[in-house]
Amino acid sequence: MQVPEDLKYTESHEWVRNEDGLCRVGITEFAQSQLADLTFVDLPEVGASVSSGDEIAVVESVKAASDVYAPISGEIVSINDELSDAPEKINEDSFGEGWLFVIRPSDAGELDGLLDADAYRGLLPEE
Amino acid sequence: MSPSRFCIFEEPLPYPEAVSLQGELVSARLADQIPDTFLLLQHPPVITLGRRGRKNFLLADDETLRKQGVEVHISTRGGDVTYHGPGQWVLYPILKLGSNEMGAHGYLHALESVALQTAGDFGIEAFRKEGKAGAWCEQGKFSAIGFKFTRWVTSHGLSLNVKPNLGFFDLIVGCGLVGEQVSSFEKVLGEQNCPEMDAVAEAMRKAVGEVFQRELIDIAPRMLGKPVSSV
Repeated sequence: MQVPEDLKYTESHEWVRNEDGLCRVGITEFAQSQLADLTFVDLPEVGASVSSGDEIAVVESVKAASDVYAPISGEIVSINDELSDAPEKINEDSFGEGWLFVIRPSDAGELDGLLDADAYRGLLPEE
Repeated sequence: MSPSRFCIFEEPLPYPEAVSLQGELVSARLADQIPDTFLLLQHPPVITLGRRGRKNFLLADDETLRKQGVEVHISTRGGDVTYHGPGQWVLYPILKLGSNEMGAHGYLHALESVALQTAGDFGIEAFRKEGKAGAWCEQGKFSAIGFKFTRWVTSHGLSLNVKPNLGFFDLIVGCGLVGEQVSSFEKVLGEQNCPEMDAVAEAMRKAVGEVFQRELIDIAPRMLGKPVSSV
């Protein structure tokens, strides 16, 4: 199971990539594999302000809906519009084209509270 | 593993109450205040739309629905539109799946097994359909499935038609499956031979224990908020 070293993670299986102060967020390869083939994605509005831990998005496979949580507080500055027509991108490339949204953090210090790759790997079942 | 709780409701539970009850139980389960818990209950007549619920699968207008006493609710579960009502058991497992257990596929498979095994107990030959969720018999689909994960704690679940008024399903295109027949134990076995709701509940309880490999403790609805040690 892929767990890129340069990302931060949450216990609820979101990843965060710090891109010059903006944080791109998606769900991990493990999360997408557990949900199986995704068929529907509900993303937050651009401009919405979110607090860490808020349920701000939903990903849905054939019969399972699962919440996605804001890993950090801030403002949603962009969302991945392409997912509405192609939610399978999350399955195919969860750390790349399957990203969900970008947050402008209100407190960049919150990033330090997230898990690093090693700590996140520790949460996953042994392969 | 600590025993799981199994709670059968004697009285129909209105859909919104079942949703808020599940919300409370999911929070309690997340906080490890309660063990895994299975709810088995019936709803008063209600049509629910999944989150991507498309109104075009609803075939009746508001007036018709009101006259027939059917409420409509948007649900946070996965899946499309479905009907719940008396004569149909719904099973809502509140389980903490954790990282080491089954994902959506495995969980879906387990719910289907509960439906198939229950049907088998009453001599009904039942099967899965590739690429679709639920359980079928020759006469049609008798069990629908739609669930939700909240940080990998499950809610919503499975419905199983024992002897509901199947006429209500004419109001919808069930789970968005155009041209699918809906069935029930009564339709397959005939009115005379259809088992009582209680007998089916007992069979479902047994199937849950076997499929999920749990020791089950029966509790009353009023005890749901309590930890298992105080039962």
